[in-house]
Amino acid sequence: MPDVAEPILSVRNLKKYFPIRRGVLARVAAHVKAVDDISFDINKGETFGLVGESGCGKTTAGRAVLRLIEPDTGTIRFDGIDLLSLSSQQLRRRRRDMQIIFQDPYASLNPRMTIRTIVGEPFAIHGIARGSERDDRVANLLKTVGLDPSVLGRYPHEFSGGQRQRIGIARALALKPKLIVADEPVSALDVSIQAQIINLLGDLQQQFGLTYLFISHAIPVIEHISTRIGVMYLGKLVEVGTSAQICLAPKHPYTQALLSAVPIPDPGARKQRVVLKGDVPTPINPPSGCRFHTRCPIAIDRCKVEEPPLRETQDGRDAACHLVE
Amino acid sequence: MSNVLEVKNLKTYFYTDEGVVKAVDDVSFSVEKGKTLGLVGESGCGKSVTAMSISRLISPPGRIAGGEILLSGRNLLALNNEEMRQVRGSQISMIFQEPMTALNPVLTVGFQIAEAVLAHERVSRREAWSRAVEAMRAVAIPDAEKRAKDYPHQLSGGMRQRIMIAMALVCHPSLVIADEPTTALDVTIQAQILELLDSLREEYHLSLILISHDLGVIAEVAETVAVMYAGKIVEIGPAMDVFHNPKHPYTQGLLRSVPRLGSSVQKKDRLDVIEGMVPNLLHLPDGCSFAPRCYKKTVECTLSPIPLEPVSERQEVRCIHA
Repeated sequence: MPDVAEPILSVRNLKKYFPIRRGVLARVAAHVKAVDDISFDINKGETFGLVGESGCGKTTAGRAVLRLIEPDTGTIRFDGIDLLSLSSQQLRRRRRDMQIIFQDPYASLNPRMTIRTIVGEPFAIHGIARGSERDDRVANLLKTVGLDPSVLGRYPHEFSGGQRQRIGIARALALKPKLIVADEPVSALDVSIQAQIINLLGDLQQQFGLTYLFISHAIPVIEHISTRIGVMYLGKLVEVGTSAQICLAPKHPYTQALLSAVPIPDPGARKQRVVLKGDVPTPINPPSGCRFHTRCPIAIDRCKVEEPPLRETQDGRDAACHLVE
Repeated sequence: MSNVLEVKNLKTYFYTDEGVVKAVDDVSFSVEKGKTLGLVGESGCGKSVTAMSISRLISPPGRIAGGEILLSGRNLLALNNEEMRQVRGSQISMIFQEPMTALNPVLTVGFQIAEAVLAHERVSRREAWSRAVEAMRAVAIPDAEKRAKDYPHQLSGGMRQRIMIAMALVCHPSLVIADEPTTALDVTIQAQILELLDSLREEYHLSLILISHDLGVIAEVAETVAVMYAGKIVEIGPAMDVFHNPKHPYTQGLLRSVPRLGSSVQKKDRLDVIEGMVPNLLHLPDGCSFAPRCYKKTVECTLSPIPLEPVSERQEVRCIHA
């Protein structure tokens, strides 16, 4: 049998535009093209990293995949089912298999709920396990994420940022999901705590065979945790490849600039970098042609008019650039 | 080389209802003219309070409980409030993390920079305005004359941070304290701002204190690095030595726990971690504050406070096992 990895999630031509309304009649004046026609696959058991700067659409993409934000067009096949064709009833049942972990562990836990209620809520919603059985399950989940089960009756404010993130992870694991979207799960944490949570996510993936869509702006974190990486710029995927392809030998000029901007914790390694001119343009009226042409160090005339499609390159990765072979 | 700033045995305590929080406890360091000191540590380690203490911007229940802060030989802690007000902005200036909250939203950015000039120098408004525009040019804001009439919300995050830097530099201070100046910015913009700070430091012979939790940012610009933990400096020395030959177990742990770019060459399943978490400053352990998380811990570590001692000509470490 050939060992062909089979995608658990298959996203095609996903688009999400947010209308901007103006005037007393709230007429739609323009659109923020947050996610503009992106396609990618995630294989079972792998971690797909989505990386980019603020406003590139990575968070919108992550939420649209779970239909937490309703996409405008496109298809999302998850575990053989077209998610966009489901009614809200059917979708709620499917949600057991897809969970999310948020960035801010201070904002994503209800301060008035005990840990028992927070982590037990998925069971309550889906009518699984009651009373002491539910408590047992919650206690087990807490143990799984490295918390002492004696904290069941306590409230979120009694925990540190790292511990709260563990609680958020326990909640996401409650229904034994297949896919977890992790949206900047370690960005709000201190360096020494970050490493603990990254390791925990890795351990859980092995233990439960989880698939992750891992969203972050922190490239070293993405590189460490991901099997494959997609780089986004202004609502588009500009390069998709294995973690080594993207981080050791980036081909798209944006990926190259992004990587060269990452500060290296080694004073001996100060290097020549591609410093990009200017700011990221607004996604309301993105530049014509290739969206990166306004800041690209190697742009040619063709880039201003013709949008480069994301296509396979010689070494098997995908890149959206006229100048990449 | 002359020191622009010398901080000696600085203690900044917060007298709260629950007890005394020793946010900065006996911290000493100096900054040479034209050089950059990097202060690095995790939340609550006292790096920002150190910065605020140097500018004497600590408000109750906090108080500077001891020590000396010598700016070009003059003890800032001996100045009265009016004298200190003259020092701030003209000799010491600060750049904060979030430029949107540090700027006044209802005044143009040019006006806000000019205001700093008017506060410290006897110049006409016209002269102050042209100094503001000139400062904006120095921080590479395109079309400075036009941009000076913009309000903060009309500028991007990176541009706002450039405005903060222009404001900090317009009176030619000898010391600039930048507290997480790039933390709120995207990496490509962060690279621009770090490059700008470094080139301005060289051009104006500025002394710079750069505070960050990001070891990468510190390594990019600092010549000297001080690592703080629970209110104390645990290791200080030239950046090369601290990064390449860290002696304190906390510094070693921090450097090992950050994922590195290029890690896919040799993929590790797990990162090295520092177990446990930062202690509560109200209930610090006896002896070394890091001992409960330290892999080298022995009984001796928990008996009495550990002094900061030289391990080489230029590197000092607060650890008896170093």
